Amino acid sequence: MNATTAKIAARTLRLGFEYMKLNLRSISRQPAAVFFVVLFPILFLIIFSSLLTFELPFPEGAAGNVPVVTFSQYFVAGIIGSAIFGTSFNLLGNSLAIQQYDGTLKQLAATPLPRTSFFIGQVGTAMTYTLLQLVVMMILGIAAYGVELPDGQGWLTLIWIVLLGVPAGCVMGIAITAIIPSANAAPAIIQVPYILFQFISGVFFTLASLPTWLQWIAGLFPLRWIAQGLRSVFLPDVYKYAEPGEDWQLGLAAIVLVVWIILGFAAARFTFQWDRSG
Amino acid sequence: MEPAIRIRGVRKRYGSVTAVNGIDLEIEAGQVYALLGPNGAGKTTLLEILEGYRVRDDGEVSVLGMDPGRERGELNRRVGIVLQRSTPMEGLTPREMLNFTAKLYEHPMHPSEALDLVGLSEHADRVGGKLSGGQKRRLDLAISVIGNPDLIFLDEPTTGFDATARRQAWEVVRGLTERGTTVILTTHYLDEAEHLAQRIGMIKDGQIVFEGDVEGLRRQLESETRISWRPPAGFDPSSLPAEWADQRTGADGRLSLPTQHPTRDAGRLIDWAREHGIDELNGLQVERPDLEELYLELVGDGSEAATVDGAAR
Repeated sequence: MNATTAKIAARTLRLGFEYMKLNLRSISRQPAAVFFVVLFPILFLIIFSSLLTFELPFPEGAAGNVPVVTFSQYFVAGIIGSAIFGTSFNLLGNSLAIQQYDGTLKQLAATPLPRTSFFIGQVGTAMTYTLLQLVVMMILGIAAYGVELPDGQGWLTLIWIVLLGVPAGCVMGIAITAIIPSANAAPAIIQVPYILFQFISGVFFTLASLPTWLQWIAGLFPLRWIAQGLRSVFLPDVYKYAEPGEDWQLGLAAIVLVVWIILGFAAARFTFQWDRSG
Repeated sequence: MEPAIRIRGVRKRYGSVTAVNGIDLEIEAGQVYALLGPNGAGKTTLLEILEGYRVRDDGEVSVLGMDPGRERGELNRRVGIVLQRSTPMEGLTPREMLNFTAKLYEHPMHPSEALDLVGLSEHADRVGGKLSGGQKRRLDLAISVIGNPDLIFLDEPTTGFDATARRQAWEVVRGLTERGTTVILTTHYLDEAEHLAQRIGMIKDGQIVFEGDVEGLRRQLESETRISWRPPAGFDPSSLPAEWADQRTGADGRLSLPTQHPTRDAGRLIDWAREHGIDELNGLQVERPDLEELYLELVGDGSEAATVDGAAR
């Protein structure tokens, strides 16, 4: 990397960071948005946990002393995954579509803000909100649902799942705006895959209880891998025998997320439109 | 000197509608240039082609020596843009927006300088949603100038303003020109073009129908000067000399005659009246139509209304 390239890269990063700060400030002054981001997954957690109180089936293939895991514990991992993916894919996709159609981004496009900085700022925004959600839900999970703080290995996994999961969801959120024909259509078009992903990715139901072909479809998208990685963080290790392949499949999860980030970023850079207002 | 903008044979179609139909234009650096025309004439489409938002179907465009279709990133560093519709990010104050925007440019002005320039200092810390329409427009202007651009595009900067707010906005634009910035604005207010612009390009149906300064426009339409009076009841217009067969009668009964030589023809009319025993030409007037009326004449569609309006005045 020569000096000019390094300078451009530094500027791109710095402006991405500045845009993130601006974006966070803007969102933080819109109470409805904050409510949606932080409280929605928590409400979900509380409602579903009180509805579904069964214990997870004994993991076949496990030996020795197997601790009991309630659905609530299982669901804490799932709903955190869901929140990570929701903040990046769902929330970002919606907010971008609205801003593409109302002219907010058109105005931004008149400035020399690099497109990559804009993406970096959006990912940073989603990352910040994810951290906020994570803290709140972990506290709630520990206090109310018998979830334990991760161990050393668990923290490491949690960190890379967030660091890869958020950008993967963001580039999907940016890319999906390409097929949204109007601001009004955005929630519907984004919500449908988001809900479907949650059903087939082991958030509401255990992954192994799904037919294999659905597991395969889910395996093509990030949420399945994010949720599985989080279960490795929050569930006792022997429950890996309850997963397909009787393993947490962390290596595969990392590969799928990285591929999504690379392909999604390319697609987003190529298809993203600042202005669809006219 | 290289012109700030050079346009050759630019065309743009949307389906079956031709929005811009072969426009040639050169705009000198340091000028205020007004693109004037009714709604739907193609002003905004032309402007957005120059800004890089829209892709032309045909023709050549050079803005500050660059092609906005291909070199938009570079162009954005040297050009300020005020869009027709203002949509600032929600929840932010003008100062916050300007602090951020200043960081995007290499040689920005200080945010408080930009705030001063547009007269928004008093409201600098008020969250955007609470600003009035005029204040939001000033914020748009401040954002567009903070990077010290060489060229600014203003798309209908004062539409929807009351008279006071418009005059204030004009002052701001004049302030910009004192800094040597080239300004290109679209407007459908003739007085705005007259007050601000050194040159005017009138657009109708995607074509330039007049290009020049305000005086040039007046000269071009000199023939539209009219002599008018209120004839007595039962007056037969055909008794006038044949050369005045082109008279029109307005809604209030005034008879008006177009002329290219107002003084000579007024004399002739008076001579004719004496010869025909008419002692008094009631309400005799020689009107040089104001620019508004000229404009309506020029763009065609409004000519009837203009005659009636002019006569009523």
